[in-house]
Amino acid sequence: MILKSIFFVLLNFIVAGLFAQTTPWDVPADRSAKLSTTAFTDQNRNTGRNLYQANCKSCHGDPGKNNVIKLVPPPPDPAATQLQQNTDGSLHFKISEGRGAMPSFKNILNSAEIWNIIAFLRTFNKDYQQQLAVKPTFGGEVFDKVELKLTADQTHTTIVAQLTGFKGSLVKPIAGLEVKLFAVRYFGNLMVDKPMDTNAEGKALFSCPKNLPGDASGNVSLVAQLSNEELFGLVKTESTLAIGLPTDRPPLNEPRALWNVVQKTPVWLLISYLASVLVVWGFIVVVLLKLRTISKLGE
Amino acid sequence: MASEVNTKFLQDKRLDRIASDILRPVGVDRSFLIWMSSLTMLLFVCLYAYYIQLDKGLIVTGLRDYVSWGMYISNFVFFVATSLVGMLISSVLGMMGYKWVKPIGRIAEIIAVAFSAVAGIVIVSDMGRPERLPFVFMFGRIQSPILWDVTVVTTYMTLSILLYVFTMIPDMAISRGRIGHTPPWLQKTYELLSFNFQHKPEQYKILLKAVRILLILIVPTAFAIHTVTSWLFAVTTRPGWDSTIFGPYFLTGAFVAGSSAVIILMFIVRNNYKLSRYITVEHFDKMGKLLFLVSIVYFYFNLNEYLVPAYKMKTFEARHLIELFTGEFAFMFWSVQLLGLIIPMILLLFKSMRKPAPMFIIAIVVLIASWFKRLLIVVPTMEAPFLPKQNVPDAWMVYHPTIVESAITVGTITLAVMIISVLMKLFPVIPIWEIAEEESAHPDQQPVE
Ligand code: HEC
Repeated sequence: MILKSIFFVLLNFIVAGLFAQTTPWDVPADRSAKLSTTAFTDQNRNTGRNLYQANCKSCHGDPGKNNVIKLVPPPPDPAATQLQQNTDGSLHFKISEGRGAMPSFKNILNSAEIWNIIAFLRTFNKDYQQQLAVKPTFGGEVFDKVELKLTADQTHTTIVAQLTGFKGSLVKPIAGLEVKLFAVRYFGNLMVDKPMDTNAEGKALFSCPKNLPGDASGNVSLVAQLSNEELFGLVKTESTLAIGLPTDRPPLNEPRALWNVVQKTPVWLLISYLASVLVVWGFIVVVLLKLRTISKLGE
Repeated sequence: MASEVNTKFLQDKRLDRIASDILRPVGVDRSFLIWMSSLTMLLFVCLYAYYIQLDKGLIVTGLRDYVSWGMYISNFVFFVATSLVGMLISSVLGMMGYKWVKPIGRIAEIIAVAFSAVAGIVIVSDMGRPERLPFVFMFGRIQSPILWDVTVVTTYMTLSILLYVFTMIPDMAISRGRIGHTPPWLQKTYELLSFNFQHKPEQYKILLKAVRILLILIVPTAFAIHTVTSWLFAVTTRPGWDSTIFGPYFLTGAFVAGSSAVIILMFIVRNNYKLSRYITVEHFDKMGKLLFLVSIVYFYFNLNEYLVPAYKMKTFEARHLIELFTGEFAFMFWSVQLLGLIIPMILLLFKSMRKPAPMFIIAIVVLIASWFKRLLIVVPTMEAPFLPKQNVPDAWMVYHPTIVESAITVGTITLAVMIISVLMKLFPVIPIWEIAEEESAHPDQQPVE
């Protein structure tokens, strides 16, 4: 009975191993067909290399050297056909979503960063010809550049994110797109209000929280971002606005504490330490002086 | 230590006999040269190991991410511990008026000087970048027990050296004209170290006052040095170290190690220097009782340190204790507890075991066990971190000291033995003036050899 169950467990492992290796990776058709909206530049490729070194190299090794980590199924060498045969879109999908031992990077890297890595990965494929996504059009216009801008009204009750498209000398507000607003905090970003759509004037209006702590003069760092990254790539802006409550809380490393720097030694400790050292070494000096007296007396 | 010296012993004929007895072995002879050159050779081999470590870094040791304190830090704790006996014998027993400690007080001081001096060097051996040692003083934080440790080790070493030098001043003066058999440079050194001492009553008065100050200062300093060393561990929350009794636990353990070191040297002095008239069977008996006393106190602290957490078996504590009681370290743990504590304690109950030869053997076993005891305090805790050990090569999970590391450790021990040998052979190991004063004050008491 026991032997039999052990046998089945083993069998299960073997089958699971084989299975994992052979299952094709299901990439939804629309994701697989996805393309970058911008042409890869050397700058993209350089950023991509750094991101690769930091996030991928530990498993995928140095491209072309086939020094990948031993896992089942093994992570493919980026220069190998197995990886290069993917469309740009399915590379983007696989890196974003991950599978098994391959981690999902969608919460670690943003979409633009993943495109940069793909730009780098493609340098190991001589036959690669980049196809570009059709320039996103909006309201019949094809924009060269799209910009977000943050302002606050006089009374600091509303924060305005203005979305504008540029094409040559034409400047036009873009309506109907969702914008997210965040306040930058110590350990990540805090969403302000809820995602808002731009109105006919290209404005997304966020109501200002009354109790958001700012720095000593009430300044808060804000980040606004277009939710849809597919249309124009990552559209993002950062500004510091005086919309918070002025908070003059001393920094955490302000008080004297055991864990702080030496200049911030607790007074009781400073006194005890210095007093003990001074007393003991004071007596040592006294004793040494006595040595002199003894010697003098003997002359 | 009396507050006054009766200088009539200087006229007593007994002084001549005592001085010539004690000064006879002093000097540079053939066997001393052979002994020292063998030690020097050994030291050079170990220095070569240290050169390798300087060149390649700590990677040549068994220290890795998890066990970053291994043999070196255990060795450091051992050295600090052993040096503490100077305080116990000279200060505590001496000041309480126990006269029998007079002949062995200097031996205890020699141990204190040698071991505290080498302890500082041992710490440097644990540093991958020893040239950054000054950073401790430049950027050190007063809040850190490491800075306190550096402070107290230096202070204790200074006090021990001063105590050694001060109590030897009258002997240096007595030895004038009596050490014709020694090389001139040694005679010069004696002259220097006698600081123009003429046995004038005023000189004795100042001397005694200075010694008294030193003896008093040394008590809190010695307590501080080993308590702070224990705090290096106890201020963390790690199983096996997170203990409120670590200070006294270390302190009493130190007395066990130190007393056995004194017994070993006493035996060597008695037999090699033919000084059995001064270091008598009686002294061994007394030291045996002292070793028993400190052992039983240490046993009591061990009981608290292991039984109380073992009763509760808190998750992490339990993992640590099981490792010690029945796991990877069980053999070492039980050997150390039995050979270093329980068996010696039982043996020392018998008078026949408190004779010089059996005491010598017991003391050697206890001293070796106390070295391993320090390893048991440092390594098992380091091998059991709170977070799972992962993403490192298998060899990093457990600690395997390397040959280089062991050689460097042997080197530090060699260095301590060399310092002890020099101090014991080139200077009187028994305080001539104190013995002479004692004998002239009680002329009828004859020592039992
Ligand atoms: C923890 C190890 C690990 C890390 C880190 C890692 N990968 Fe992977 N990767 C794998 C494994 C294992 C597979 C194979 C997964 C499978 O087939 O189930 C894989 C598969 C892939 C594939 C799919 C290849 C194919 O067969 O189509 C791509 C593309 C990829 N990784 C890219 C990356 C990139 C880019 C990074 C860094 C941002 C990265 N990986 C980081 C382990 C890793």
